[in-house]
Amino acid sequence: MLLFRGPHWDRELSTDELQQTMDKVMAWFEGLNERGRIKAAQPLGGQGRVITGTDGRFVVDGPFTETKEAVGGYLLLQADSLDEAVEIARSMPTLRYGISVEVRPILAECPIFRRHPELVRRDTDPAAEELWITAAA
Amino acid sequence: MSTTTKTDYLLLFRGNVWDRGLSPAQLQKVVSDWMAWFERLKAEGKCLGGHPLEDEGKVVSGKQGRAVADGPFAESKEAIGGYFYLQVADEGEAIEIARQCPGLEYGAVVEVRPVADVCSVKQRAQEYSKSELAGATA
Repeated sequence: MLLFRGPHWDRELSTDELQQTMDKVMAWFEGLNERGRIKAAQPLGGQGRVITGTDGRFVVDGPFTETKEAVGGYLLLQADSLDEAVEIARSMPTLRYGISVEVRPILAECPIFRRHPELVRRDTDPAAEELWITAAA
Repeated sequence: MSTTTKTDYLLLFRGNVWDRGLSPAQLQKVVSDWMAWFERLKAEGKCLGGHPLEDEGKVVSGKQGRAVADGPFAESKEAIGGYFYLQVADEGEAIEIARQCPGLEYGAVVEVRPVADVCSVKQRAQEYSKSELAGATA
């Protein structure tokens, strides 16, 4: 999964520059899609909520999407390896304007099971298993 | 590809160290509750999918992606550990579901984000173009 961080990279760009960049982004995206590399991808809205505490007692507005760390969108990539995913991430046209792309392998199983091998893993039905490893398509 | 509607939300689970210090019984309960929660939401048609994410990954930045660093920091309260994709009636329902997350009582944080119809940058570019056009014709 690619997480695009820093959604306000466009602030300092002229209209021409922005238009050209967005054309490149769309071409980048379509190229990946034609190669069957994209399982899902979406921009995320700036208005959200952050929930914390037992029984989710705290609900606050957030996150602050002004920050460079804020996630502005995601792309679920079909790649053969982390290296290939990184290569694809490196070709993202908006990197030059200060965004960063976090590349994270997806897992079929919660890593807590790996950190704690003593845990019993309850069997799930195959259809449910499949949903863990396929995209929200 | 997903069909975007106004009722789509992403839950981002933040914090990947909250399981430290839990007893085996507590851990067993929280992971079982989490799986049961996921399966119930899917059976109800409210969750279309989700994944845990590997702790280790890479962060790519700089022109032509010249900087490739290990990351994100493996132990962090902010690190994203996984996500659910929800399709629900409204934001209130998305928040209600987020509040049921079994990790919350141990310090997990759930970020609820609407899935946008149009990329915010594209929208800002369009609005800018419109105002430029309006200025030109005024």
